[in-house]
Amino acid sequence: MTNDPIYNHLRELSWRRKLTDAEQAQLRAWLAAHAEAQTDWEAEAGLNAALSRLPDVPVPSNFTARVVQAAEREAAAELRQSGWKWTVWPRLRWLPRVVLTTVTVSAVLVSCLVVQDAQRKRLGVSVAVVSTVSALPGPDILKDFDAIRASNPTVVGDDTLLTVLQ
Amino acid sequence: MALAPDPDAALMLRVKQGNTDAFAMLVDKYKQPVLNLAYRMLRDAAEAEDLAQVVFVQVFKSARRYEVSSKFSTWLFTIARNLCLNEIRRRSRHPVDSMDTSHPGQEDQPLQQFEDKRTASAPERLLYGELEEKIEQALAALPENQRLAILLCRQDELSYEEIAKVLGCSLSATKSLIHRGRETLKQKLKPYLQTGAWHESN
Repeated sequence: MTNDPIYNHLRELSWRRKLTDAEQAQLRAWLAAHAEAQTDWEAEAGLNAALSRLPDVPVPSNFTARVVQAAEREAAAELRQSGWKWTVWPRLRWLPRVVLTTVTVSAVLVSCLVVQDAQRKRLGVSVAVVSTVSALPGPDILKDFDAIRASNPTVVGDDTLLTVLQ
Repeated sequence: MALAPDPDAALMLRVKQGNTDAFAMLVDKYKQPVLNLAYRMLRDAAEAEDLAQVVFVQVFKSARRYEVSSKFSTWLFTIARNLCLNEIRRRSRHPVDSMDTSHPGQEDQPLQQFEDKRTASAPERLLYGELEEKIEQALAALPENQRLAILLCRQDELSYEEIAKVLGCSLSATKSLIHRGRETLKQKLKPYLQTGAWHESN
């Protein structure tokens, strides 16, 4: 075997396809100058020919139709299996947002109603207190307050009596 | 340099849109090479046919994710390679009797017979049949990655770079696999190659 780049290039080409006329001429010229590579080339060419003679595996005439049918069947089955994921879910993708919004709005409304109710109750209690106040005597009763207070000096305790009592 | 548009990729884009006619055209074009590859990897005609069908169904199912980043044939043969290797691994985990397994008293029977449609006389057909059987056996005895590399190498559609992509290794590693595989084949087939029976003007 040789490591000559020209030979290696032509040999690698021959592994994949038949050499063109120009490539064959180049190879013949190279082999003429390198007789020691002749045996290696013959083995390479023989193997290329042997590989190219490998027969095609018989393909059933209905192979394409069967494959198309199987592909359609599998695609349909996959669609059914992932029906929720691929068909229903995209249509209901808005649902969680709507649910979240509804819950939030409901919570706010309920809070408002509770606060409003509490305020109403407090107002009711206040009104009840005020309604009892209306039964007290009017301010006229205090018109002679100063005169009465002046004519009635403050009672001072009898110290002697208190001493005796003690 | 702009790449030439890949007609298969155009068909595949139609498949992506659900066009089954385009899919049928791709199957028609590639069924033979895929089946050949599957058969020579699995050595079982019925399993090869099933696997080839799975390869194409996989192509159809994956069409939604297909991007025109590489040649369609590279993508297709990568799927075929993965499925073949999976099947070989599955077999090694769960060995079963293959239809090709030799049975007592039938050791001399060839593994698989194919009709040779080329015109040849009866003795020539016999000779070629024997020679083909020898190379089938020699190929089957190669390690999987070397066999795969050599088989992909015979696909006109694939360049060495594309074969490397399918195999998932570097260009130099790919050429090394092919070279080593071919050296083994040459050694095993030496007596037959020397007869010149296979020789063609190359």
